[in-house]
Amino acid sequence: MTDATANAAVPMGRKARRSLLEPIVLGVALALIVLFSTTIPGFASLGNLSVILSNSTSLVILACGMAVVVISRGLDLSQIAAMVAGATTFSTLINAGLPAAAALALAVLAMALIGFVNGWLIAFVEIPAMLATLATAMFMTGLFRFGVLRGDYLLILPKSNPAVVFFKSDLLPGLTAPVALMIVALVVTGLVLRFSTTGRIIYGMGDNFQAARLSGLPVRNTIVFVYVYSALAALLAGLVIASASGTVDFRIVTNGSLLFEVILVVVLGGIPLRGGRGGVRNLLVGAALIAVLRNGMTLYDFSTQTQDMLKGVILMAAIFVDNYLNPRDAETDTAGDL
Amino acid sequence: MSNTGRNRLMGTIAAFALGACVALGATAAARADAASDMAGKKVIFVPISMGITLTEGWARRMREHAATHGYSFDVRDAAFNTGAMSELLAKAISEKPDVLVVHNPTVQLLARQIKQAQAAGIKVLQINLQSNQPSNAFVGANWTRIGTEIAQDIVKECGAGSGKSGKVAIIPGQLTAADSVMMNEAAFKVFKDHPEIKVVSNQASDWEPEKARQITATVLQQNPDLCAIFGHWDVHTIGAGNAVKDAGLSGKVLVYATGGGEQGEACKAIENGTLSAEWSYDADGQGRDAGTMIDLLLQGAAAPGGAMLIAESPLKVIKAGPDYDPSLCWKMPPKK
Repeated sequence: MTDATANAAVPMGRKARRSLLEPIVLGVALALIVLFSTTIPGFASLGNLSVILSNSTSLVILACGMAVVVISRGLDLSQIAAMVAGATTFSTLINAGLPAAAALALAVLAMALIGFVNGWLIAFVEIPAMLATLATAMFMTGLFRFGVLRGDYLLILPKSNPAVVFFKSDLLPGLTAPVALMIVALVVTGLVLRFSTTGRIIYGMGDNFQAARLSGLPVRNTIVFVYVYSALAALLAGLVIASASGTVDFRIVTNGSLLFEVILVVVLGGIPLRGGRGGVRNLLVGAALIAVLRNGMTLYDFSTQTQDMLKGVILMAAIFVDNYLNPRDAETDTAGDL
Repeated sequence: MSNTGRNRLMGTIAAFALGACVALGATAAARADAASDMAGKKVIFVPISMGITLTEGWARRMREHAATHGYSFDVRDAAFNTGAMSELLAKAISEKPDVLVVHNPTVQLLARQIKQAQAAGIKVLQINLQSNQPSNAFVGANWTRIGTEIAQDIVKECGAGSGKSGKVAIIPGQLTAADSVMMNEAAFKVFKDHPEIKVVSNQASDWEPEKARQITATVLQQNPDLCAIFGHWDVHTIGAGNAVKDAGLSGKVLVYATGGGEQGEACKAIENGTLSAEWSYDADGQGRDAGTMIDLLLQGAAAPGGAMLIAESPLKVIKAGPDYDPSLCWKMPPKK
């Protein structure tokens, strides 16, 4: 869907060299579906499909934000911290008796501010994205744990609150609010990347940042935009997770496995970390592989450690295959990698 | 805490003090000596993390003891970071406190440092989660007993003659954490004699409620006739309980957990149907046991032959249903 845009932003001769990772990952995902369907009774059922969907909503929403950042040749390591900070802001406010709409508006403002700080540090102070977002992640975790939760690690949400009820409800028969929000996030991300001027600039920056800057594109404002977008996606994912599990828990930040999975979804789908290429379709492919793999491994009753190990092996294999199929040339070398 | 609860706790502490060879009939003068012995001494507590009712509850009681007897009490918060925890412990050892209170994330991680601290003449009290390395004292739950009792209850509810499937899902925190290791071992020992019980899933949640929720949602889809879930800690088991609720199986799938028995976590979850039963080791009571144990260690108490002084926490079984008793939970006072 977004390949046209991606290819439009790169020189003509590069068309033939588009990443082959996406079809390979799609093939592996399909192979896994066949394998699990034949070896696990009940894997190929509508019920299991709805579990796979509901278990991957927050991951896909986060990946929408991360994809936009990565395509612009950035990286947002503060995303999970922002997710928990957003959920904390919202939950603290509704626990304090504020109406859900006001709590949501304030949470959106707070997260936009966090995204703005990230973008400002990267665009105007010119700190590398990895360092800037790592610093804001640590700052946010500390601030929210000690400033807002006053040292607590965990916040338990009142299940009766209308906002919590909304995030768990069925909007239509079979369509839950989290799944609907995931679809909205995917559509909005697709529209921004494909049809907006900002989207074009994002691809331009990812493909050749200096050229984009020298040709007079507003690269600094666009950097601020992508980090605000990522923070807002994080807030949405945080609300979905908090309502589903009934808790806001800072260990999700310190354990670190969710951030790894988000980057995994983006990279596996075929969005290279050096940016400039890829779109929503790549996200869907990456997410499909991770969601199916996670579900199958849980049904096989693999231990959590084994699951983490297998995911690591898959990431390494993907990077290996990507490097083999897309060997470096003068252009990609000068672009640099993360 | 109710009067009966307090009396029971007092009884435990009195019995424990007896066991530690402290003369109950001490004169007022002797008491004054003991107090001055403790004054000015130094105690450092290195928890896995503050900010959870368990450790906050312990620290609150230990601090009370320190204030009463005039010794210092410092908390070094590792904030769930095991790397930071080893460093904090190394620094604490270098400060040569009189007593070091350690909360082990796994049975192995801090073993060497505990040995090192003892070699340096520091008395080490392990709290609730043991290491492989024995030390001067342990205050905490008997995990083998909890694992056995919960497994026996599961057999009663789901085993032969219950008409249920006998399917059980276990959700440990981390497979190498002391409580998970011991509870799993004890539970599987019970289940071995009951072939009708089938453990369909045994996957760690890394203590995260959301991970526990996702695992449970997947397992329930595959086994809608699941009879019971055995979550190793109430905090992450709340996520599992929510998955059971979302699947519309409340009341059909029993959700067991263990925990510190704090009102907001344990009793509230039982009242709103997220948990079915909690084996509580009463964190508030444990805090007082730990405070008393520190007092005794500072006065020179030691088990004969270098063995470990052990204060096993009495258990409170909090169950939903007609016998539900909210007074079994304790309440963390709001922060000022």
